[in-house]
Amino acid sequence: MSININTPSPAISGGGLGRGRIGQPVLRKEDLRLITGAGCFSDDVNLPGQAYAIMVRAPHAHARIVSIDTAQALAAPGIIAVLTGRDMLADGMKPIPHRPFSPHPADMPLENTDGTPIFTAPHYPLAPDKVRHVGEAVAMVIAESVAAAKDGAELVEVDYELLPVIANTAAAASPTAPRLFDQARSNVCLDGVMGDAEATAAAFARAAHVVRFETKIPRVTGVPMEPRAAVGAYDPAIGHYTLHAGTSGAWRTKADLVIMLGVGDDDVRVITNDVGGHFGTRGMLYGEFALVIWGARRIGRPVKWTCERNEAFATDYQGRDLVVEAELALDADGNFLAMRGSNISNAGGHTTNFSPLRKGVEIMSSIYRIPAAHFRARGVVSNTAPTRPYRSSGRPEVLYVMERLIDLAAREHGFDRIELRRRNLPTEAEMPYTNPFGMIYDSGAYHRVMEKALGLGDWAGFPARRAEARARGKCRGIGVANYVDTASGVPRERAEMTVHRDGTVDVIIGTVSTGQGHETSFAQLVTEWLGVPFDNVRILTGDTEFVKFGGGTHSGRGLRLASIVIWGASQQIIEKGKRIAALLLECESGAVEFRDGAFVRPGRGRTVSLTEVARAAHELPDVPDDLRGPLAAISDETITTAQFPYGCQVVEVEIDPELGSLEIVRYSAVDDVGRAVNPAIIHGQVHGGIAQGVGQALMEHCYYDPETGQLLSGSFMDYAMPRADNFPFFNTEYVETPSPTHPLGMRPAGEGGTAPALGVMINSIVDALSEFGVRHVEMPATPERIWRAIREARGGAQSMCDRNTPEVMLR
Amino acid sequence: MYDFEYHKPKSLDDAAATLSQHEDFKLLAGGMSLLPALKLRLARYSGLVDLGALGQLRGIRREGDEIVIGAMTPHAEVADSAAVARAIPALAALAGGIGDPLVRNRGTLGGSIANADPAADYPAGVLGLGATVVTTRRTIAADKFFIGMFETVLEPREIITEVRFPIVEAAAYSKFRQPASRFALVGVFVARTRGGVRVAVTGAAPSVFRFKEAEEALTKQFDSTALDAITIAAAGLNSDIHASAEYRAHCVMVMTKRAVAKAANVPSPCNERGRVRQGATMSVNINTPSPGSSAGERGSTYR
Amino acid sequence: MPTVSMTVNGKRVSAEVEGRTLLVELLREHLGLTGTHVGCDTTQCGCCTVHLNGTGVKSCTVLAASCEGATITTIEGLATEGKLHPMQEAFREHHALQCGFCTPGMIMSAVDIVRRKGNDLDERTIREQLEGNICRCTGYHNIVIAIQSGAAAMKQSRPSGAPPG
Repeated sequence: MSININTPSPAISGGGLGRGRIGQPVLRKEDLRLITGAGCFSDDVNLPGQAYAIMVRAPHAHARIVSIDTAQALAAPGIIAVLTGRDMLADGMKPIPHRPFSPHPADMPLENTDGTPIFTAPHYPLAPDKVRHVGEAVAMVIAESVAAAKDGAELVEVDYELLPVIANTAAAASPTAPRLFDQARSNVCLDGVMGDAEATAAAFARAAHVVRFETKIPRVTGVPMEPRAAVGAYDPAIGHYTLHAGTSGAWRTKADLVIMLGVGDDDVRVITNDVGGHFGTRGMLYGEFALVIWGARRIGRPVKWTCERNEAFATDYQGRDLVVEAELALDADGNFLAMRGSNISNAGGHTTNFSPLRKGVEIMSSIYRIPAAHFRARGVVSNTAPTRPYRSSGRPEVLYVMERLIDLAAREHGFDRIELRRRNLPTEAEMPYTNPFGMIYDSGAYHRVMEKALGLGDWAGFPARRAEARARGKCRGIGVANYVDTASGVPRERAEMTVHRDGTVDVIIGTVSTGQGHETSFAQLVTEWLGVPFDNVRILTGDTEFVKFGGGTHSGRGLRLASIVIWGASQQIIEKGKRIAALLLECESGAVEFRDGAFVRPGRGRTVSLTEVARAAHELPDVPDDLRGPLAAISDETITTAQFPYGCQVVEVEIDPELGSLEIVRYSAVDDVGRAVNPAIIHGQVHGGIAQGVGQALMEHCYYDPETGQLLSGSFMDYAMPRADNFPFFNTEYVETPSPTHPLGMRPAGEGGTAPALGVMINSIVDALSEFGVRHVEMPATPERIWRAIREARGGAQSMCDRNTPEVMLR
Repeated sequence: MYDFEYHKPKSLDDAAATLSQHEDFKLLAGGMSLLPALKLRLARYSGLVDLGALGQLRGIRREGDEIVIGAMTPHAEVADSAAVARAIPALAALAGGIGDPLVRNRGTLGGSIANADPAADYPAGVLGLGATVVTTRRTIAADKFFIGMFETVLEPREIITEVRFPIVEAAAYSKFRQPASRFALVGVFVARTRGGVRVAVTGAAPSVFRFKEAEEALTKQFDSTALDAITIAAAGLNSDIHASAEYRAHCVMVMTKRAVAKAANVPSPCNERGRVRQGATMSVNINTPSPGSSAGERGSTYR
Repeated sequence: MPTVSMTVNGKRVSAEVEGRTLLVELLREHLGLTGTHVGCDTTQCGCCTVHLNGTGVKSCTVLAASCEGATITTIEGLATEGKLHPMQEAFREHHALQCGFCTPGMIMSAVDIVRRKGNDLDERTIREQLEGNICRCTGYHNIVIAIQSGAAAMKQSRPSGAPPG
């Protein structure tokens, strides 16, 4: 297995032969429109005669809807309709078809220990009976303008019966907590275990050292810069709905809408153009999508809805929110023996998704060799916005726990942090490695990647930098974190490829680019495999008129699965092309070879281009029926193996001990991407992933008041977004160890920036504070928390519990 | 936004007349706080009187021992003014750290102090320097001007025309940013004047205030060590999801000392902004719109 | 409703607006210039940045009515004679955008940074000056590089160093 080290190189902008092949940092096709303002995001879509919708949203976190009086609103100027949950039910609208888990055979099952099914309850676009989080929609006002709709929304009178509120994750699990769903026994919807309890207990019994860590990974949210928007239309003549909206996959959204509306597959069309960010929180259908098309049918005009940022904070799906208690057992030499503990994941106000819980617990042992493990995993509901997978779903949380456990073990039991990691990282000879929960890590040069990151971050030179910082009154710390990420998700994808007579190639595929540059990297695959000029390849996505199936974009599955089906379609094109070329070359198709974009008959010198073959498919009179033009192929594959990207980050921070403020002074990352298609895009993905992870570690927090369930971080005024001055330049490199479970060796690169960032940030902060004896700082590691940690470690008052930021240490 | 009548008077008299005819009309200066509040429907006026056409309210001049800044002068102009930088560099630095560059292009001195956001920067500069606020009706000493959260002594039909800042012996502003809004979590303006030292604190309490104990100690000895024996009580300070009152009290002391050190050591305009931090200090900073930068006023708009 | 007239991307336009109509609404909804985006409601994200009389402003926080007689440049007007502005080129060249939603505002803000701070920009200056523009995709890394490069290129393409509009 070879490792190729790639460093960033300037993008290739010129033309020329071979431009756009795999491995080139070719400029993105999508950029020309995006830098000139010619992109088409959801709110840029306007339909003739459209009306405007505004949602009436609950001001309470938990309340029964006693009545809704729409009369005054209906009488207001410009109001066309006011629709409630009752109207919605009367029209037969079905709940949003949430799936508690994304099904993938490589993921471990997580079921209730008592054998009962996982509790789920219907989640309607408009709450018909009860609201379970602040901001939940209870009515939709449709008017001639946004302003008129807002005026009308203020006149909708909703009578609420207030109910007791539970917003705290751990407390929600208590049998005595206020219940969100009357039909459930408690707020615990899922209570299962993973791993081997007996083997784990035995390992702990013989352990020389045990280290314990309890933490809460706070709730954050994706904050794609484009707020959601949707424009719906209905054609009564043919009973057909059209939705324009930013989604993570048009086909999946359509399939969900078909279920909700109870209509036929062909009765709904979803169109997704440019999408301004996704990050997982845009990964599921939003109720408003169904409401605008339903509303359009009700009023006989298109209906447009645009989310404002304050609504987005309250009603976008959110992420993380996991409470963990974990213990790690080590032998006297520092070999990891076992780990055990308990995870509680907060699904929010509806039973939307428990995938982060499962995807976390099945990889609790992270990238390390741990023979035995046993974890309890609980999923709860609470009076907060619903959650779902957010960039690297479930993994950053548990990887952070593992990296903290290792640093704590090192510190409390006298090991070197790096040596402890070296000792417990599986070697290449141990691959594939089965973790204690049954996950099979495909391959990886874990040691070499960590050593590379340590070199990149100049771990050896740190003491001198720390001394220099100290002379300036700063506490400098360094941290390291490894990660492994399970890339699974919807296993099926489909590509439809057509070679046109002018030599251009269209690829229809069911993913949607939400910033990853699919139009570019997918085209590079076609250029590589069919020898077609890069500029002649068009990637078509996001319209169910021509996308016949698509798993969407999530779980690092875009390029990973697209490459497989584009490869499959390319091979079919070549095989068909050979048969047509054989007619042109007057030989047996077995004698034709495909080289550099042309079909040749070796030894005879004659070649015909792919374009000529595509034309011949239309024009040759004697083409067999199965080859008659257009020259096209469909590849529809279900890939049951997962891929395991991994990597390592090394970070240095400087802390002002007087204020607790912090500066990141050095950030190094190495990722194994298996096979790099577009290096510029890969580095960009890592940069962005790092920023999102750092944001969670340092400042981002969806803060719900524990008493009232009010969201106190409901705008950019209070939800801290990382900005340019929060970062240094990142030092990122990647290696390419082909994944044996991917036919082309690829591993996704989109989540690797985020996955280890929480752990590496907190490890570096705690290291900076080690001179004070600080054991841990909870996320977000705000200046106040750091200041308190120093003060408390120095022997000041108070407990580790941060009184001003509740929900920290919960039990 | 609720709809309103829009007026853009050509003269100050017109503006005053329009205001006097309509009780609930509101003055619009740069709009950086007012318009966001209107957009979120947190405020409602039947008319806005845009002062944007009144060129006489815009400009910077030195008059004797004062720097006089027109009420409609954008922050960016103050930040870039050579006259301000020569006379009161701390004021130029403060203006250069309000909001973000785009907000500074538009936001104005008059708008900022009339709004009196408890976490805004200009109130600290105005109070710290002991400036005089000049209106269409009177002159108001800074000490009398700010009376509470978003509250000044301005009367409904009174228009700020300019602010007169005395040139002081030394001054500095140190700000510790709230990480989200980037308003001052705590901002301290220290000025050494002939009449003694003035210390004004923003961001920490419901309104900008003078830190009298620090002033007395610093008047005796203008050195940060003079503050070693002083603390400020957390009681009465703001407490929110970004910082407890206790932490704010601590930050007030730290930022006061840093401002003193800066004023004592650095006579020239200094922008000590380091790079890349969370909760950066020294970075004269931010101001954006925000009705209510303290706890209890923020958060969900669905309440 | 008052009528407001202004020059947008070199063209004289006038439109009937309400008092409350924002400049960004005029641009997007009346003039169809949808390259200027709205990413927040608190004047922070900078997606809506345009040039008003040559100065960068957040068009979500400017009343359309107050722009009577003004000259506005939006992202659609930055390229001249079919040639990309050097800052646009730099963003493309350095992969300084992913989803592209913040990009128009970033580019307009970047050109304003050059107006204020000149063509020779160091990393720290750029990071500080980007305070009013939020990006969620890029970690800002390539944006900082692009602005540095674009600023230098603007000097070469315009010896005076003066950015357009």
